[in-house]
Amino acid sequence: ENCGHISISAPIVRLGDPVTASCTVSQSCSYLEPEPRILWKLGAELLQHKGRQQTQPDGSQESIITLPSLNSTHTFLLCYLNWSNSLQLLDQVELWAGHPPAMPYNLSCLMNLMSNSLICQWEPGPDTHLPTNFTLKSFKSRGDCQTKEDPIKDCVPADGQSYCSIPRKHLILYQNMVIWVQAENALGTSQSPQLCLDPMDVVKLEPPTLLAVDPHPEVALPQPDCLWLRWEPWKPSLYMDQKCELRYRPQLQGASWAQVGPLPSRTVRYELCELRPATAYALQMRCIRALLPGQWSSWSPSLELQTT
Amino acid sequence: PLDPASPPSLPLPRSFVLKCLEQARRAQAEAVAMQEKLCAMHKLCHPEELALLGHSLGIPWAHLRSCSSQDLQLASCLRQLQAGLLLYQGLLQALAGVSPELSPTVDTLQLDVADFATTVWQQMEELGVAPATQPMQGIMPTFTSAFQRQAGGVLVASHLQSFLELAYRTLRYLTGP
Repeated sequence: ENCGHISISAPIVRLGDPVTASCTVSQSCSYLEPEPRILWKLGAELLQHKGRQQTQPDGSQESIITLPSLNSTHTFLLCYLNWSNSLQLLDQVELWAGHPPAMPYNLSCLMNLMSNSLICQWEPGPDTHLPTNFTLKSFKSRGDCQTKEDPIKDCVPADGQSYCSIPRKHLILYQNMVIWVQAENALGTSQSPQLCLDPMDVVKLEPPTLLAVDPHPEVALPQPDCLWLRWEPWKPSLYMDQKCELRYRPQLQGASWAQVGPLPSRTVRYELCELRPATAYALQMRCIRALLPGQWSSWSPSLELQTT
Repeated sequence: PLDPASPPSLPLPRSFVLKCLEQARRAQAEAVAMQEKLCAMHKLCHPEELALLGHSLGIPWAHLRSCSSQDLQLASCLRQLQAGLLLYQGLLQALAGVSPELSPTVDTLQLDVADFATTVWQQMEELGVAPATQPMQGIMPTFTSAFQRQAGGVLVASHLQSFLELAYRTLRYLTGP
């Protein structure tokens, strides 16, 4: 039989909420002293004169304590017996205090064409001080996402991570799906606003590759104010119609970018003129899906060329 | 050559056609990759030499007869496109386990062909030209040896390529001048 046993209103409460506990000491345990004193500790602190102690009909002793406001996020509540002038620990319980999860926000997703997966990330919101599980939930839909079709398997991020990757086999490309984040802990659940998207409309496009080309072989003396280059789209996105922008600037202090576009996503030779002769230039290019929704790639690494 | 002057009257949303064009190109690129791998790994580089084997294995072809330029019947063209995509999805599924190195390519291609079929089917539903139930895939060939699976893979990839090429040209025509 338990010598002493703590019962508690709830082991997990909101930060600052009250906690009520009782410690019951069986008669067999306090056999030498008719009315043994039950004492409480919260963490290391002895709670003087806090418990209301009474004898139960069965002869056991019960002490009830109310902590008006639990302000530490994780602590222990201990029940002692003052026995022969020594404190004897009879039972202890763990207490947590925190917050229900706030609504996750800033949910955004990108389709990675290399891994062929949809990677979504979000802001978890303030610390709840409690173990909180985040789950990326989604279902297939169509049109403007008013209809709910097949559910998609929940995506559970690794511990502490605020992103999750939905594998290709769970996706239907070129169809809309609804995605949101659910946060859950012992004190409640919350959900982010929902996104309605087609994975292919949020493709993370990588920039094209810029390459130098020799001036036209037939031209004896290349024009001093021109540069020649070519570019190739990022290989995994070859099947996508894309349009691109080229920017360039002289390698001079304070020089600003000039920009040309839209340009096709591939060309074997491009001539850029009206430049400063005998000057080094940095050129960069970025592309975006043409005709269908998409996002600009980042600018490519600079290609450095020199006019003659 | 298709007559670009007058694409058919059925109101096809431009975004639908553009998506289908991209899906066709995407699947074509993967079908090419599948053929290249089968050629590199198993020296099976000439689908035309496997026609008899294909016939004996009962590998079906999908056709797009209603998508021909002379007599484009859009509703049945869409139905044939969707049914063909379902057929190739089934054939790719039957090739499961062709080889560890090839499986990722086959799996991705199967998913992409299935998604393409879904895109077409949903548009048919929205146009009210979808049959009451989805067409059945039909009886799939059974490959009883690694060689049959590899040869079947070459044939399916090759047939799918031609099918997608014709679909692409039809879709291109549907985008109008």
